[in-house]
Amino acid sequence: MIKIANLEKTYRTEEVETVALNKLSFEIKEGEFVAVMGPSGCGKSTLLNIVGLLDDPDEGSYQFNGIEVAKFNERKRADLRKRNIGFVFQSFNLIDELTVFENVELPLIYTGVKGADRKKRVEEVLDKMQIMHRRNHYPQQLSGGQQQRVAVARAVVNKPKLILADEPTGNLDSHNGSEVMQMLTDLNEQGTTIIMVTHSEHDARFSHRIIRMLDGQTVTENILV
Amino acid sequence: MIKNYFKTAFRNLWKNKSYGFLNVFGLAIGIACAAFIFLWVEDEMSYNHQNVKRDQLYKILENQPYEGKTYTFSATPGLLAKGMKDEIPGIKNACRMTWEQYTLFNLGEKSIYERGVYVDSSIFDMLTLPLVAGNKENAFKQLHSLVISEKMAAKFFGERDVLGKTLKVDNKEEYVITGVFKDIPQNSSIKFEWLSPFKIYNDRNGWLNEWGNNGIQTLVELEKATDPATVNKKLYSYLQSKDTTIVARPFLFGMNEWRLYSKFEEGKQTGGRIQYVRMFSTIAWIILFIACINFMNLATARSEKRAREVGVRKVLGAGKKILVAQFIGEAMILAFLSLFIAVGIISLVLPAFNTLVEKQLSIGFNNPLHILSLLAIGLLCGLVAGSYPALYLSSFNPISVFKGLKLKGSGASLIRKGLVVVQFGLSIFFIIGTIIVYNQIQHIKNRDLGYNKDNVIQTGLRGNMKDNFGVIKQQLLSSGFVENAAMSNLNQLYMGSSTGGYDWEGKDPSKKVLVTQDFISPEYIKTMGIQLTKGRDFYTDPKQDSLNVIINETFAKIIGKKDIVGTLLRNDSTNYTVVGVVKDFVFGDMYAKSDPLIFRCWPDYFGYMYVKLKPQANVERAVDKIKTTITSNNPGFPFDYIFVDDEFDKQFKSEVLIGKLSRIFALLAIVITCLGLFGLSAYTAERRTKEIGIRKVLGASVTGITSLLSKEFLILVLIAAVLAFPFAWWIMHGWLQDFAYRITISWWIFISAAVLAMFIALFTISFQAIKAALANPVKSLRTE
Repeated sequence: MIKIANLEKTYRTEEVETVALNKLSFEIKEGEFVAVMGPSGCGKSTLLNIVGLLDDPDEGSYQFNGIEVAKFNERKRADLRKRNIGFVFQSFNLIDELTVFENVELPLIYTGVKGADRKKRVEEVLDKMQIMHRRNHYPQQLSGGQQQRVAVARAVVNKPKLILADEPTGNLDSHNGSEVMQMLTDLNEQGTTIIMVTHSEHDARFSHRIIRMLDGQTVTENILV
Repeated sequence: MIKNYFKTAFRNLWKNKSYGFLNVFGLAIGIACAAFIFLWVEDEMSYNHQNVKRDQLYKILENQPYEGKTYTFSATPGLLAKGMKDEIPGIKNACRMTWEQYTLFNLGEKSIYERGVYVDSSIFDMLTLPLVAGNKENAFKQLHSLVISEKMAAKFFGERDVLGKTLKVDNKEEYVITGVFKDIPQNSSIKFEWLSPFKIYNDRNGWLNEWGNNGIQTLVELEKATDPATVNKKLYSYLQSKDTTIVARPFLFGMNEWRLYSKFEEGKQTGGRIQYVRMFSTIAWIILFIACINFMNLATARSEKRAREVGVRKVLGAGKKILVAQFIGEAMILAFLSLFIAVGIISLVLPAFNTLVEKQLSIGFNNPLHILSLLAIGLLCGLVAGSYPALYLSSFNPISVFKGLKLKGSGASLIRKGLVVVQFGLSIFFIIGTIIVYNQIQHIKNRDLGYNKDNVIQTGLRGNMKDNFGVIKQQLLSSGFVENAAMSNLNQLYMGSSTGGYDWEGKDPSKKVLVTQDFISPEYIKTMGIQLTKGRDFYTDPKQDSLNVIINETFAKIIGKKDIVGTLLRNDSTNYTVVGVVKDFVFGDMYAKSDPLIFRCWPDYFGYMYVKLKPQANVERAVDKIKTTITSNNPGFPFDYIFVDDEFDKQFKSEVLIGKLSRIFALLAIVITCLGLFGLSAYTAERRTKEIGIRKVLGASVTGITSLLSKEFLILVLIAAVLAFPFAWWIMHGWLQDFAYRITISWWIFISAAVLAMFIALFTISFQAIKAALANPVKSLRTE
């Protein structure tokens, strides 16, 4: 599903040049659950941003479902992203001014799903995530665990092929953290490919494979399953 | 999706009520302000629009060259109307019309002065003057006919059904009412309450049959197909074809230009009130822009708070276009909310505004143009105010946002600072403009007129007042209230009659000098306090001076003789001897230098009486005494009077209004600017919470922090002042050029404006700065 070859990305300020990805190559098959680990600054997040089509690489190739997307422009990237990729962040990133229902509904609005259909799908997913009773609440009225559940609901409502999770349990206690990991595992079992960046060995064990990174390169790959 | 935008916009607004209030209230004031100006402009632009034929209607003006200068007058010969209609092709109708007459009408006990004109019956075919009683064909069939307004009919008879009833005119003849016309709208250049056949006036004034005598107005209606240029070509030398000595060149002056383009210099149209219309329209746009700037600044200043939302929306698939639409949509919502509040403000304040501008403006929701204009203003504000924040906010990169990286804010903050500079620059410009306009008006009002206008009462000579003047004067003098009394032909302030007919020895025969000519009684110069610089005043017996004249210094200078007293002036083959010279005094154009003037001592043409009160006289009792004295010697004529100094003040009505309006709009511009600054300083203080906390922990004082936060903005105000100065000087210097008698722009005006702006800015910012400085540093550090 994802084929990356010789990916390079360098960040430059006036005085400093930081190599974030250095000729990085790997492949991820459909239905895989991959954890990306490594120390801070090793390029995990950059990798996730590029895979999530939020950023573009300087050099190298990135094929998504067999299509070369490394040189896609902003519009094309956004189009591909909204139809295929869901995001889960460490800090949830829910919009404070929208209710739970409205937050989850947002991706469907951007993909042009009709109102009645939207309602059905949002309710379905909220039900599945067991937060239906909170549908009219605002994010700040929810606990961290509940907020992350909403975030996961929002990530999956569009039925993406790929979910990118950036330290999804980073802001949660162990109980809530485990719940979220279970949710991701369930999603994966239902066929969604998942790439998760994490610092937690515990969380990483939920995946099939761990890619360890250092200085913008993969150092080891552990296959767990 | 739209619903989602609305929701976010409203919830955002609700969550940030103070931000919303500053934006909406500022914009509402701006829109209300602009709406007032546009209503005023609309009224000015729609002058005379009640006349259906206004595109074909013209007044005849004349350019008259004298002494190398060209003057433009609206007085025309009495023979012109008929002559033009008969001899110049393309003229459908022509009409003679007198200047406005203030005539006494009596009905039983009722005696009321009403203004009106003697006019040819063709007026009914030319102007749109709907008759509610009578018909135009029969209106002027009999000589002593009277067509009156509904208002006048109601005043005398309490009803409109007054056809065939009579009113006595000037306590003499009875006139029959042959028609009643609908009241003339307030925004009409020609206003009258009654019309009477021109023949009455014509029969009394033989000079109307001379081509060289300009004393009435001429109106013409062209055929639709007629090109005014063709008529003008014929008109150019038309008067010369009648009398070769005439220098005047008549031309058509279209009704559509009467109100706004009535200023002529050297025979060329140079504008008029249109300058004020343009000026205020510009001010309206500027005020709206200032309000929109607030919106842009506050929106981008708080962008950090919305950055995450933008990031999330982008990650979820929102493209830039969608986000731009969302933020412009939000601005639109705010703009329309402001519009709604603005309409409320307009409804509340309009009566006061109407009193100020002496108009009857109304919001006029039944006028589609008004509705459309309001909607257009709302849309425009939303678009202008929302465009930059939309582009800015939608450009956020989600990666940077989520990483919590500092947003690429330096560009935005620079633009924000630039916009604050623009706002304060405009405000400072307004302050400078206001001070200069005020000073100029005061300067003119306080100028030495060359005579004493204080405590002088002016009244029209009515009935037998002229014949009984000797008795009246004696009784007034013996009353103890009155210092002197005199009569004259012309109104002291306007002196609107001149002649080019004087010659003297040594004068270039090819040149004509236009001289204002007034006929006065011997007491006049003393009564008005005009200073005699050479020779003598007129003798008390006018007969002794029937061939003697007194001239002013300007005329003496033109004649150019060393021994001016004794010089002979010739007019119509009669010689007049200059017996005295008076110091120049101001008349006619209050802003200009004195024109040449000649006083003749000739009682025939007297029209006004002037009474000078003693300085210590009790004004109320004095007026009472004058009233009883005059009415007892002139029964049947109600006593009406004005004080010359009041009338003088009225000369500056436009300027005083402009002064007042500019003060109001300057104040509002500053208020709106400060609303924005208040919000902006709040966000700055918020953004620097951590810095302030650290500084306080390290020992910074409250004063130190307050000045740290204030300095940032004060520098901007200073830059604004420096930029505004040359611009303000240039514009106001240009404005002053219109006045021959004007102030010089002094440096202190600029400094005061800048200091005032700094002070206002400091006051505005200090609230937030002090609040931030007083906050507990532990708390502020924790919030970071």
